[in-house]
Amino acid sequence: MRTILQAENLTKVYRVGSVDVPALRGVSLDVEEGEYLAIMGPSGCGKSTMLHLLGGLLTPTTGSIHIDGEDLTAATDAKRTDIRRRKIGFVFQRFNLFPTLTAEGNLKLAESIHGGRDGKKGGDPERRREVLRLLQLEDKMHHKPLELSGGEQQRVALARAVVNRPALILADEPTGNLDTENSAIVLNMFQEMNYRFNQTIIMITHNPEAAAMCRRIIQMRDGQIVAPGPRVQI
Amino acid sequence: MESLVTANVRQRPVRALVSAAGVALGVCLVMLFTGLARGLSNDLERRSQNLKAEIVFTRDAGSTQLMSNAANLPVKYAEELLKIDGVAMAVPDIRYVSQGGKGFGFEQVEGVDWEQFAAMNGMSLVAGRGPQGLDEVVIDETKARNNKLSVGNELKLFGNQTYRVVGVYTPEAGPRVKMSLAAMQDALQAPNKCTWVYVKLKDPGRAVEMARKIDEALPGNKIQLTRDIITNIEKSIPYLGVFLRTLVGLSALVSGLVVMLAMYTTITERTREIGILKALGASRGFIVGEIVKEAVLISVIGVAAGFAVSFLAGYVIQRAYALPFEYSWLWGLTAALIGLLGGALGALYPAVRAANLDAVSALAYE
Repeated sequence: MRTILQAENLTKVYRVGSVDVPALRGVSLDVEEGEYLAIMGPSGCGKSTMLHLLGGLLTPTTGSIHIDGEDLTAATDAKRTDIRRRKIGFVFQRFNLFPTLTAEGNLKLAESIHGGRDGKKGGDPERRREVLRLLQLEDKMHHKPLELSGGEQQRVALARAVVNRPALILADEPTGNLDTENSAIVLNMFQEMNYRFNQTIIMITHNPEAAAMCRRIIQMRDGQIVAPGPRVQI
Repeated sequence: MESLVTANVRQRPVRALVSAAGVALGVCLVMLFTGLARGLSNDLERRSQNLKAEIVFTRDAGSTQLMSNAANLPVKYAEELLKIDGVAMAVPDIRYVSQGGKGFGFEQVEGVDWEQFAAMNGMSLVAGRGPQGLDEVVIDETKARNNKLSVGNELKLFGNQTYRVVGVYTPEAGPRVKMSLAAMQDALQAPNKCTWVYVKLKDPGRAVEMARKIDEALPGNKIQLTRDIITNIEKSIPYLGVFLRTLVGLSALVSGLVVMLAMYTTITERTREIGILKALGASRGFIVGEIVKEAVLISVIGVAAGFAVSFLAGYVIQRAYALPFEYSWLWGLTAALIGLLGGALGALYPAVRAANLDAVSALAYE
């Protein structure tokens, strides 16, 4: 199995006024291609900080992160952005779709950013259709986010994250704003993406049912991994 | 596909329209002021070109080109000029500049012996007769058309004094309203005086030589060649160029500031969206590009609206006040560039600020 993510001894210290607040205290993590991993832990344990570090939105105070062979920590801000563009897809608790664009428009925007300067104009309609079909969004393509239910919005967000086939999807409490029924639908979709495309997913969640669908669960507390759960082959 | 740029503009139509109105204002300022300056200047030049006298003889400090209210030159100079060999005609003239009839712009009135003046310039009456009485004037065809005047109508000059139109002449030359020299002298209480004397030469090709000769014969006066006056009309309006350049600068500033303010507000409103773009891997260049493109789209709408409003306003003003507007491609291009560049540059600061936002803070923005 190929290692998609390798994080070693990550620390992150926030400076609040004149006080140093440690958020991560030496976290190491390896994630293989096709893994579906849940990170659980109480609020303030450093889960979100870790996700932001893995996504290159933050830089660690110490430690290193390699994504699909590229060193994220040694990269400049522009290079980190470039790695994020090519290798990472985000799914947020609050969906974070562009309210002015339709579902399809949101996907096309992601494709356009992913394509960069040399990108194919208009993205790949074939792949877009396939993703929308898998996520049962074909009839919602021309709807704007506010015309969609929470579950549908999160499915669009997932579609946006996977449409470019990133090496890694980072999901931050993707069911946190959804009711039970929609949570189940969205979690099934995550699982479908993982099975169908061998998509590597790291998901932060407080929801034990969501975590139970993952192949590995790790527990965090006080900025450290306290229970690096075993990998499960499903 | 609807791009982020057009979608954003459509999402906030009022904000987009206000921004576009700011750009349009800048374009309007440039187009209307330069159009009016050019229109007035060209109109004056056209009418001056119909004056056939080669030389204008006046007091040394009495005249600024063809616009003066001073009547301090004794009329007897006309007789002296006629004695000089080579002078065919010498026609004394008073020109009076007053505020326009509708309180907008200015209006010139000329006092001149009609028969002599018409003969010198090849003018003829298309209706009525020449002015004789102290309350009679003739007007040119443009004035008659613009003010809907004809023979027998009355018009007010010098404030509240009533004059009767007794004739309509063609072609237009100098001021559009002319009365007899005696009537003008009476109105200005300047008996036997004039502003200048038009000198028509027997041989128009010897104008320079004759000017020198007149200067020698009647020293201490100002002798100008009519052709020099005509080419200098635009330059003769003090600081017109400086005024226009200042106006262009102010217009650019207005356009830039309005767009900057609008885009700055937009960036604040969309902080979270910028965070999302960053999370999706959008580069700084992409974010700056999207914001500048939005500003340019707004500016294009503003420029188009600015041109439309300018042409409409120019037409309305021309109809209402008979002020000529003449637009030039160069000033039109300048106005368009000001609108577009002002908008793009105005958006640059908020765009760079957005591109430098911290992604995590932006995503957490409420």
